[in-house]
This record gives sequence, structure tokens and C-alpha cells, in this order.
Amino acid sequence: MTPAIEIQLIAVLTAAACAIPGVFLVLRKMALISDAISHSILPGIVIGFFITHDLASPWLILFAAFSGIITVILVEMVQKTGLVKEDTAIGLVFPVLFSIGVILIAQNANDVHLDIDAVLLGDLAFAPFDRWILNGTDMGPRGLYLISTILLITILLLFLFYKELKVSTFDVGLSSALGFSPVVLHYGLMSVSSVTTVAAFDAVGAILVVALMIAPAAAAYLLTSDLKKMIVLSILFGCGSAIGGYWLARVLDASISGSITTVLGTLFLLVYLFAPAKGLIAVSIRQNRQQIEVSLLTFLLHLNNHDSLEERRVGHLQEHINWGKVRSRSVLNLALKNNMITIDEKVVSLTRKGKEFTEKALDYIISNRNEKIEDIKDDFFLFRG
Amino acid sequence: MNLTEYFTDYTLRTITLGTAVLGAICGMLGSFAVLRKQSLLGDAISHAALPGIAVAFLITGAKDSNILLLGALVSGLLGVFWIKGIVTKTHLKTDTALGLILSLFFGLGMLLLTYIQKQPNANQAGLDTYLFGQAATLVESDVILMSIVTGISLLILLLFWKEFKLLLFDKNYAITLGFNTKLIDGLISFFIVLAIVIGLQTVGVVLMSAMLLAPAAAARQWTNKLSTMVFIAAIFGAISGIVGTGISASQNNLSTGPVIVLVAAVFVAISFIFSPDRGILFKQLRLIRNRRDLELKKTLHFMYNIVKKHDDISRPHAILILNNFQGFTRSSLSQMEEKDWITVKGQSWSMTQQGFDIAAHLYDANMISHDTSH
Repeated sequence: MTPAIEIQLIAVLTAAACAIPGVFLVLRKMALISDAISHSILPGIVIGFFITHDLASPWLILFAAFSGIITVILVEMVQKTGLVKEDTAIGLVFPVLFSIGVILIAQNANDVHLDIDAVLLGDLAFAPFDRWILNGTDMGPRGLYLISTILLITILLLFLFYKELKVSTFDVGLSSALGFSPVVLHYGLMSVSSVTTVAAFDAVGAILVVALMIAPAAAAYLLTSDLKKMIVLSILFGCGSAIGGYWLARVLDASISGSITTVLGTLFLLVYLFAPAKGLIAVSIRQNRQQIEVSLLTFLLHLNNHDSLEERRVGHLQEHINWGKVRSRSVLNLALKNNMITIDEKVVSLTRKGKEFTEKALDYIISNRNEKIEDIKDDFFLFRG
Repeated sequence: MNLTEYFTDYTLRTITLGTAVLGAICGMLGSFAVLRKQSLLGDAISHAALPGIAVAFLITGAKDSNILLLGALVSGLLGVFWIKGIVTKTHLKTDTALGLILSLFFGLGMLLLTYIQKQPNANQAGLDTYLFGQAATLVESDVILMSIVTGISLLILLLFWKEFKLLLFDKNYAITLGFNTKLIDGLISFFIVLAIVIGLQTVGVVLMSAMLLAPAAAARQWTNKLSTMVFIAAIFGAISGIVGTGISASQNNLSTGPVIVLVAAVFVAISFIFSPDRGILFKQLRLIRNRRDLELKKTLHFMYNIVKKHDDISRPHAILILNNFQGFTRSSLSQMEEKDWITVKGQSWSMTQQGFDIAAHLYDANMISHDTSH
């Protein structure tokens, strides 16, 4: 395997391993826990290093994962005092742990080959240099084995506990009624996130871990509401960005982690703008349409209330209902198109269909009962027709 | 280093002054962030400022800290607006939006920084001090800039005090009163971003959020009044800055930013434990006292039920009959005696009129109506 392929393989596997817990973090509104964990595993790594004096020791991962869990516990402890809100609790705990890590490193900087920059930012480009040599044969980069093991465990756990995770994510009450302990699932998810963060952190750095966990899941959530589809989409987004980011970094001769994140960001921006149902553009169009529908209703009600010719002249409507020219034109056109009004010599009058609609609408407004609006939806459709 | 050296050393004095001003402004504006439940906004903004620094450097090619900070300000504000856009326009929640912007902007910043570093002949050294902050790079002009920003934000804060306060505690009321809530909201966000941006050089991207949060969270425990809270938070912030700088200067290899954060965290811990109203310690003490009081009243209730059957309420009863009741101890009996509920003579107790009245009032509705009837 060439180093280029090895790096891409590690990046893709890391992206997939992060995307799976990321989906649940985003759905459970705990996305920022990944940020907190990724920073606060620093003291764990440092202390682990002081004990083992070996940066490649698997003990380091255990120590780091353990400090990730401690972060979660500390956040919950601070929160339970009721003195501050959850987000403040997160914001207080991780900088403190991170500071301790930074100070520990700085105090022993002379004899420790542990660079904060490298820990925080990571460097995938160096991953192929750290190789696993077994009895003198080169088995490939160590990072590759680590991350594939974690990915396999994550996938296994996902298949084993899919139902439990799904239920407890969307309905905590139901899940505890069914006998799944929310606490066990919570800490299980936290442990997986923590271990994944540590492994990914080794290769790609703290910040990219957060990006790899949250961004693919967030983009996928804008495209689907189906959990299975969301997981698959997240993995695809993550892996695609990993490969795209690698090549972007090659072109720019810049940090691989940074460019993978940038590709993820571009991807999210595109989904954010253009997602068919939940994208910014689709939402704006829908809101605009609803506004015109409401305006139309106001307009029809106005016509219903005023009989005199003066009140119903096209030119006067604008000042009576106090709309801008453009909007009153579009509302008028919509009403005409739906055969709700007729315009005779610049005087607007309601047709029978218009009258019927207005009365039903009035009925709904007065009674405020949902089934009435269902009737209106069935009988009259505006934009849809 | 001795104390006189500390006050005469020019560099150290500049740095101390700088961190003190920074602490004060962070505490002041952080109060609003904490009360608005936007605690982690600071974290997101400080990360989002990074690409701005890199872009400003790419455009101007100069390492003028004012221009770099301007770039940071612009990209920080972009980050805030995108976060707001994500939260209002999609069903993604605030935490996801914050985490997204934080990591995506920071990644872009890293891409640009490494790209700059590979450029030949670039005067790029020192750009990465913004990552972890380096208080030692503070010069007098930075401190002056910080003081001006602090002054302006203090002025704005005083001018719009009523509006800020109203928006914090009752947004809907502010809207009905006709205040331009979007403008006020934008103003608060703008100043929070500004505070973060000027702090980047000193404490760095990663720890900036703690500077904003910790003094405010500590101050919150001591008061329920906004103005007092803002004031205390500013003081806590300034002291954290001064003490943190002092500690880190007294030892080698002790970076200033993390030490300041730890000092601020000590303030938080002390406030959480020892604040008289909300603190854990006094809350626990109050809980114990209430529980004891309840135990005493339970004993009194038991005694009352015995005494009620007799005509003479002060007739002595043997202490032994309390034995089958758990609530009684020697000290609880003497406490009841102190309260004048009972009198103890030898091995027996008798209830006083006062004890009887209190018990009747607490436990016997009929007795009260009987009392009031005559």
C-alpha cells in the first residue's frame, strides 16, 4: 500500500467511525459533548504518557477514554447542583480539564515529545510513519488497525442495540417503560463516543473529530427523517469528505484535517441551502407561499365584510388592506386563478366559490377547531391547484 | 522574582494590566451570555474567528494585530449569523449548530494557516499564537485597544441597560413595548464577539469560552440582581487575570492562559460551595436544619397525642414512653426544652402551654376552631 492510500483509508474509516455515534449525539441534542470530550481527554493522554512513557501505548487510549467519561460525569455533577444550566456546565468543565492538560505538558515540556499543537490539530500525513512491526514484518500503519477495530466494535454495538438506541433517542419515557435503562444507554453511547474520539483524535486531531461527528449527521438530518437512512447518509458524507479533503490538501499543500473539515463545511453549506424540504431556499419559498395564502384569506374576508363599490375597487384595495403593490397584485392574481373573485370594471366581487371559502374560513376562525381547517384543505387548494 | 520587581517590570505590568482588562470585559459581557443560555456561543465564536485571522493575513500580508483582529471580528460575526440561521431556519438544534460552526470554521482556519505556512517568504511566524494565546506578546498598544473596547462596551451597556435587561428576562414583553429586539440582540452578540476577539491573543481560541463563562457563573451565585452580577463578574474576571498572570510569571513554563482559566475556575468552585443563598454548603446545612426541625415537630406531635387525652396538659410523663418512638434523643429533648415546648424533670417530661398551643395549631384543626370560638 502506498502512503497516499493508507492515509485515505485511515481518513475514511475514521469518518465512518465518527459518523455513527455522531448521528445519536445530534439527535439527542448532545452534539457539544463531543467538543467537550475531544478537549478534555488531553489530561488523560498526558497522565497516561507520564505513567507509560510511551506515546504509542494502548494504555494511553484507555486513560484518554476514561477522562472522556469523567468529563461526562463532571458535567452531570455540575448540572445536578442546579446552580447553572447544562451548557454552562459543559463550558466550565472542559476548559478546566484542558488547561490542566496544557499546564502538565508545559511543565514537563523538556523531556516530553508531546506537542499540544499536534494533539489538538493532529496530522494525518504522519499516520503512515507509525507502523506496526510484528516479528520484523511490516503489518501496516498502526492507526489503521486501531480505527478499524473501533469501527467494527461500533458497528457491532449499533446492530446489537439499534432498537434500544432508537427508542431511547426518540422517546425516553417509552424506553424506560420497556425496560431499557436510559442511564446505561447514555453511558454506553458516551463511552463509544469517547473511545472513538480518542482514536480519531490520534489521527486527525480534536477539532476534526467534532466536525466528523456533527457535520455529516447534521447534513443527513436535513435530508431525511428516517434513522437508518440518516446513519447511511452520514457515513457516506463523512467518507466522501475524507477522500475529497485528502485531495484538496494535496492540491493546496495544507493540513489534511483542515481540508477535510473544509470539504465537510462546503457540503453542509450546500445541503443547508438546497435540501429539498428543509433547506434554506425551500423553507423561504414555503414561508413566502404561506404568507401569500394568509394574505389571500385576509383579502377575501375584507371583501366579504364590505359591500360598497368604493371599498371594492382594485385601486383602493391597496390602501384599505395596507399592502405593498407587489403583494396585492400577487394575491389578486392568485384569487383570480382559483376562481374566487371576479373583476368587473375594476371592481372586485366574490364568486360563489370565494364566498363558500370565506364562510368556511370564518367558521374555522370562530370555532378554532382543527377539523374545520381539514375541510378547507380538502375543498379548496390554492397553490396546489 | 520578588514583589517589587513585579510592580516595576514594564512587560509584566503591561501583561497584568492587559489580562485584568480582558478579565473585566469578559466577565461583564459573559454575564449576558450566561443569562441568555448562550454559554457555549463564546466557544463557537472563538473558534470561528480563526479563518478571519488567516484571511486577513492572506489579503494584507502584514502581521498588524489590529487588522488580524478585524478579520477575526468579521468571521466571528459570520459564525454567529450562520448559527442563528441554522437554528431559526432548520430543525437542527442550537448545540448542533454551535458544534458545526465551531469545528467547520476552525477547520477552514487550520487549512488556511497551514497553507500560509507553506507559502515562501511569508511573514507568518506567530500566527499560531492565536490558537493557544500568548499573553507575553501583549504590548502597550494592545492594552490601550482593550481598554478602549471595554470603555465603549461599558458605555453602550449603560445606555441600553434597560433594553438589555428587558430582553434578557422578558423578550415578549420587550416586543410588545415596541423595542427593536433584533437590534438589541445584535448589539449584545456584537459586543460578545468583540470581547472574544480581543481576548484571542491573550488566552487563545480554546480557552476563551472559559474566560467568558467562569466569572459570570461565579458571580451569578452571589446575587439575583443583574447590575450586581455584572459588576461582581467584572471584578472576578479582573482578579483572575491579575492572579493568573502573577502565578504564571512566578514560574517557568507556566502558560498564562490556562492558569487564568484555572484561577477563574477556583472562583467558580468557591462560589458554588460558599455562596450564602445558592451555595451547596449552606443549602445542605439548611436541609439538615429543616430535617431536624421536622424531627422535633414529629416528637412534639407524638407527645401532643399523649397529652391531649388528659385534662392537665402539664402532667408529667415518663421519658420511657417515648422509647417506642424513633424521633427522640436526649439532645432533641433539651432542644425542645430550650424552645419552651416541654419541661424535663428527672426521668419525666411535661408539656408547657406554649408547646401544647403550637402542637394544636400544627396538627389539630378542630382544636384551632375550638380555640377561636371562645
